[in-house]
Amino acid sequence: MEVRFQRLLIILLSLILLAGSILLILFNSKKNLVFFYTPTELIRSDSETEDIVRVGGYVEKGSIINKGNNSYSFNITDNINTITIQYNGFLPDLFKEEQGTVIEGKLIERSKVKAFKVFAKHDENYMPASIQKQLKQTDYWNKKY
Amino acid sequence: MISLIGFSSLFLSLVSNLVVIITFKFSKTLTINKVFYSALYSGTFFIVLSFLSLVWAFISSDFSNFTVFQNSHSSKPLLYKITGTWGNHEGSMLLWLMIMCFCNMFFSFNKILEINLKKLTIFFQSLLFILFCLFVITTSNPFLVNSLNVNEGLGLNPILQDPALAIHPPVLYIGYIGYSLVLSLAIAGLILDKIDLLWIKATKTWALFCWSMLTGGIALGSYWAYYELGWGGWWFWDPVENLSLMPWIAGLALVHSLTIVHQEQLLKQWVVFLSILCFSLSIIGTFLIRSGILTSVHSFATDPSRGIFILILFLVITGFSFIIFILKSKESSGRLNLLFINKTSALIINNIVMLIACFTVLLGTIYPIIIEVLTDKRISVGAPYYNSVVLPILLPGFLLMSIAPALSWQTNKLNKAKYFFYTLVFVSIFSLFITYLTNFYIWGFIGTTLGLWIIAASLLSIFNNYKASNKISLHNNALFAHIGIGIVILGITFSSVFQIESNHSIKINETINIGKYSLKLNKIEIVEKSNYQELIGNFNLYKQGKLLSSIKPGQRYYHVPKTITTEAGIYHNWLQDFYLIINKQKENIWSIKMYQNPLVSFIWIGALFMIISGIIGMIKK
Repeated sequence: MEVRFQRLLIILLSLILLAGSILLILFNSKKNLVFFYTPTELIRSDSETEDIVRVGGYVEKGSIINKGNNSYSFNITDNINTITIQYNGFLPDLFKEEQGTVIEGKLIERSKVKAFKVFAKHDENYMPASIQKQLKQTDYWNKKY
Repeated sequence: MISLIGFSSLFLSLVSNLVVIITFKFSKTLTINKVFYSALYSGTFFIVLSFLSLVWAFISSDFSNFTVFQNSHSSKPLLYKITGTWGNHEGSMLLWLMIMCFCNMFFSFNKILEINLKKLTIFFQSLLFILFCLFVITTSNPFLVNSLNVNEGLGLNPILQDPALAIHPPVLYIGYIGYSLVLSLAIAGLILDKIDLLWIKATKTWALFCWSMLTGGIALGSYWAYYELGWGGWWFWDPVENLSLMPWIAGLALVHSLTIVHQEQLLKQWVVFLSILCFSLSIIGTFLIRSGILTSVHSFATDPSRGIFILILFLVITGFSFIIFILKSKESSGRLNLLFINKTSALIINNIVMLIACFTVLLGTIYPIIIEVLTDKRISVGAPYYNSVVLPILLPGFLLMSIAPALSWQTNKLNKAKYFFYTLVFVSIFSLFITYLTNFYIWGFIGTTLGLWIIAASLLSIFNNYKASNKISLHNNALFAHIGIGIVILGITFSSVFQIESNHSIKINETINIGKYSLKLNKIEIVEKSNYQELIGNFNLYKQGKLLSSIKPGQRYYHVPKTITTEAGIYHNWLQDFYLIINKQKENIWSIKMYQNPLVSFIWIGALFMIISGIIGMIKK
């Protein structure tokens, strides 16, 4: 092969790589983004059932039901609206009533989510900064959380 | 008292480095030259003294020091009192400063570089030190006096009380911060127009050193996450992890590019660019984490005012470096010997792949911030994004890396191409067979093939080199590192694609069956330690009735601060790990979760290969 042709090939290959990566990023950033909501925002949002969402808020007092076999149900609240969560698996060590939590799962009804993952606060103040801001705006932020 | 000594030493090391800066200009004369070096060494001495004072304050539980009060407790074991020194923001920044000084001092022992270049590098390193020292003194002083009169501290976050996490930060930091010297060297080289063979040699040593340390730090961190978090995985694409991965990828591109320059004396600008990029990525990572802009599951004390300071530091350092880069870099003469496909073009593709990967990780990490600022919507970018974007981008790189070391610089002929081709065919059939026997997953097949092929092709290259020279020389170190990557790929593929997860409920003395294995809960013990109480489940694992091992997962209840942590019980085995966590379900009934992670230990074995070959690369002639 002529050297010039070889160079052309390499440059073409690099461009294909570059274009492919950009396409991958664009395609996936649309598909793999998960929206974060507080319970009120989730109810008002245009999410449809089967959508994957993240919900952050506080575990409502007295709402944790242990159905046995690692199956749980509990409510997440922002003091205005409440979302019911169904979860099958291990609850994290720090998961408690009236504590901050974030769950990720599939929306099965307007205010019901089947969670795949439950996160509890990891240190003193764990709560995603953005959710914290939102809760402060709605006056439901309490330092004791 | 000890805080006073610590703070004065910190201040004196700042002064010493100022002296370095001032005397630099006049260090042509012999006396002032002596002052220049003495100031450099005394700066190191004082920062070490300062650091040791803080360590002593932690050991002696001196709660009149605010940092000690916030992060320590007198009932902690000695080891965690010591490691608690860098388990918090202020102390870790002091460690940061100490490492910067050490890099500067060790660099000053360099004998091969021209004296002007060496001094200018020391000058810039001292300047960087001064900038970060001002940051520490003004926003994160570890020697603040506690205004409360207390006789007990608040305690160290229990998940940080762990041997792996005791050494993980220093190792990671050495890599992270070592890039500051690479940056200083790059700027000094640009200004003096001395990007020559000696410069390349010095940069290569440092780049390899930092990269090896960073590899070690990341590997230790992931190992810690594996057994301490109790999530059964070892990498979660958490912002903190991503931000340590970015300088690692850039550093890897740098190490590779340095070999092109070595051969061709070209692409100097590119190498300088990467040298600047590595430390810039380190600083931006620190900024994003410490400012609290990104929330990570790994806790770090965050403070927006610190964030602004680090952002300014980032803009000043990176901005200055890139301006020098644009002004000083010259049009390079000579042309690249690009062919389809020789070593040069393979290395260029490697660099493209790595930079795109690095950019993708950066984008995923900061995307939520951008979206929130623009649309006020809050999103999270999770593992699916990274897995489905970063992995395909890396694929061509992985495909190429098995043959790249065997390619030639001058021609487009692959020596003994036939053998490489046969190896590939054999390996694909073999892995098709393996994946077919288990369950066929496309990623399982691709991962197994790639991993095995990289290992086989690298071994083949080592064998060819051996036949050519009749000895196994240290120059094969790049091939060892590639074998390490192959091993890591196998580990990742098997432990993720072929992981088996199962949930069970169990009573005491009950035996449950999990596939070929059975698990018996013997008893539940409660153990009291000085700073926690632990509940331990004592399990026996059997394979077809034969006892394999006992596994002891537990839960710890720390007294200060009041926290529960999960302690996974792991039975290591070359072929797979049995990973068990326990949780109370109801009275006398325990929930257990078991992960069978095949070949997961390969991940850390492979990392060890990479570290060792990096160090060989540093010391070989």
